[in-house]
Amino acid sequence: MKIALIAWIAVRELLYEKAFYVLLSFALASLVFSLLLGQMTYAEQAKLTLDFMLGCTHLSMVLFSVFMGISLFQREMTSGSISMVLSKPISRSTFLIGKYLGQMAMQTVLTFAMGLLTMGVVTSYGATVSYVAIAQTIVLIACEIGVLTSLTYLFAVNTGAITSAILTISLFCVGHMRGVVSDNLKTGGELLMWGFVRAAIPDFEIFNMKQLASYGQSIPWNEMGWASLYAGLCIVFYLAIASLCFERKDILT
Amino acid sequence: MNSTADIILTDLTKIFHIGVFKRKVGVEKLSLSIPRGEIIGLLGANGSGKSTTLKMILGFLRPTSGRIQICGRDAGTRSSRELIGYLPENPRFQKFLKGRDVLSYFGKLNGMGGSVLSKRVDELLDWVGLGKAGEERTQGYSKGMTQRLAIAQSLLKRPKILIFDEPMSGLDPLGRIEIRNLIQRIHSELSDTTIFFTTHILSDVEALCSTVALLKKGKLELYCPIADLLTKDSENYSVTVSALPANLREGILKGNTSTETPLGVTIQVSGTDLLMNQLTELRKAGARIVSITSKRQGLEEALFSDKISIQGLAAGSVA
Repeated sequence: MKIALIAWIAVRELLYEKAFYVLLSFALASLVFSLLLGQMTYAEQAKLTLDFMLGCTHLSMVLFSVFMGISLFQREMTSGSISMVLSKPISRSTFLIGKYLGQMAMQTVLTFAMGLLTMGVVTSYGATVSYVAIAQTIVLIACEIGVLTSLTYLFAVNTGAITSAILTISLFCVGHMRGVVSDNLKTGGELLMWGFVRAAIPDFEIFNMKQLASYGQSIPWNEMGWASLYAGLCIVFYLAIASLCFERKDILT
Repeated sequence: MNSTADIILTDLTKIFHIGVFKRKVGVEKLSLSIPRGEIIGLLGANGSGKSTTLKMILGFLRPTSGRIQICGRDAGTRSSRELIGYLPENPRFQKFLKGRDVLSYFGKLNGMGGSVLSKRVDELLDWVGLGKAGEERTQGYSKGMTQRLAIAQSLLKRPKILIFDEPMSGLDPLGRIEIRNLIQRIHSELSDTTIFFTTHILSDVEALCSTVALLKKGKLELYCPIADLLTKDSENYSVTVSALPANLREGILKGNTSTETPLGVTIQVSGTDLLMNQLTELRKAGARIVSITSKRQGLEEALFSDKISIQGLAAGSVA
C-alpha cells in the first residue's frame, strides 16, 4: 500500500519533471530520424527503419533510466524532502522500492508506446514483419531497462549524481561487451580477474535481440523465459543490495 | 533515568568519518532525559550538534555509541517513528501537490486512511490557517505557508513527541509570531505532547520553552529550567542618570562599576536595598534618572560566553 503510494507520487513527479519532457522529445525525435534514415535507403526500407527505431527506443530508455532514476532519488536526498517521508513509520526499503516501481511503471509504458509506434510505422511500409518478434524485443528492452534502473538506484544510494551516472553507463557498456572482453583476454590471471568482474556485472547482451526482430525472426520462448528470469534475479539482487546500503546510510539533509 | 521521560538519551556519541583518516565529533557522550509534556529548546551555535542529535532521535543518523529511547522504544525503529511528528529546517513538498494532497500523502504514510484521514486533513488545514490555500498547489506557497503546512503534517497522527528543527528560521517577524503562536497552541491543546526544538532565535526560546539544553562542540553544557537561567542575577540593576553634579559625577566615575554613555552615566547596582538608597541619594543631588533596568543573565550571554558562569546550572536532568 505504502509502496504503491510512493510509486504513484514518483510517477507524478516524473510527469512534472522538465528533464522528462526533454528525454521524451529526444525519443520522439530519434524515431522521426529513424524514419527519415529508412526513407533514404534504396532497398529494405522497412527492415532498416525497424532496426533504427528499435535502436532508438533502446537508447532513449537507457538515457531515461539513468538520468531520471538519479534525478528522482538524488533530488529527494539533496533537497531534504526525504527526511519528512522517512520520519513516518515506513522503512527506507519501502521508499526505495516505491520510487523504483514508479519509475519502472513510467518506463514500461513509454517503451511499449514506442514499440507500438514502431509497429505502426513498419506496417505503413506494407512490409512483412513479425509483430511477435517486435513485441518480444520490446519486452526484452523493458527487462534490460529494469536491470539498468536497479543498478542506477544502487549507485545513487551510495554515491553522488555524477558518479552514479558515470558508473551506471560504464557498467552498461561493459555489460554489453562481455564477449569482446573475454575473447581478448589470454593469461590465466587476466581471465581469473575478469571472472570476478563478470560475476558482478549483468550480461546485457542477453536482452539484445533487435537483429532477430529486424529479420522478422521471433525469439524462442525458452530464451525469452530465461532472459526474463535473469532480469528478475538481477533486479532483486541489485535492489536488495541498494536497500541494505540505504538502510545503513546516514541521511544528513 | 525517569519513568515519565519521553526521550532518554544515554551516552550518545556520533563521530563522522570525513574521508579515510579524518574524524569529526558530532555529539559526545550526550545524556538527557526529557520529561513528558515539556517544551525543550535545544540551543547551540552552528556545528554544536543540535541537528545531529535530532537526526539520531529520528533514526536518520546511526549513533556511533549510546542509546536513544522514545517512550520506551528504541529510536530509529518504525514503532518509535509512529510516536513522532517532525518538522525539518527547510520543509519541501512536491510542487505539483496541493496542500490537501500533501497532508493526505503523509497521512497515508502514517497508516491513516478513509474518512478519518480526510476529516483530520480538513481539521488541520483550518487549524494552521490554510483552509482555502489547501486547494492550491504548494508551488505557490510562501515560506510561512510552507512552514504551517509542514507543522500540520507533523500533527497528523497526534504525536506524543514533536521534533521541530529551526521552526522559525528564514521567516519574517510576522511569520515568526504565527509559528510561535502555533507552537503555543499545540502545547496548550496537546498538553501531553513533548515538543523538542532547535533554534538560533533566543527570544523564541525565552517565550516558548520550559527547559533549555545548550550544546557546545557536541557536549551538553547546560540543561535547566529556563526560569533558572533568566532569573539568576535578576537583582543586578543598571541605572542611567543625567544632569549629574560635577563633584558627584567624578566620584561615581572613579568606581569600576560605572560607565559614561551618550545618555549620561550608567551605574551598576547589586541588590534592591542598595538600589533604593542610591536612587534617593541621586535624586537629592539633583540628578535625573533616565532608566533603570534589571540586568538578568541573558540566554545570549549564556550561549556565546566561553564558559557558563552561573553556579548550579550544570548539565543534568530536570525531570
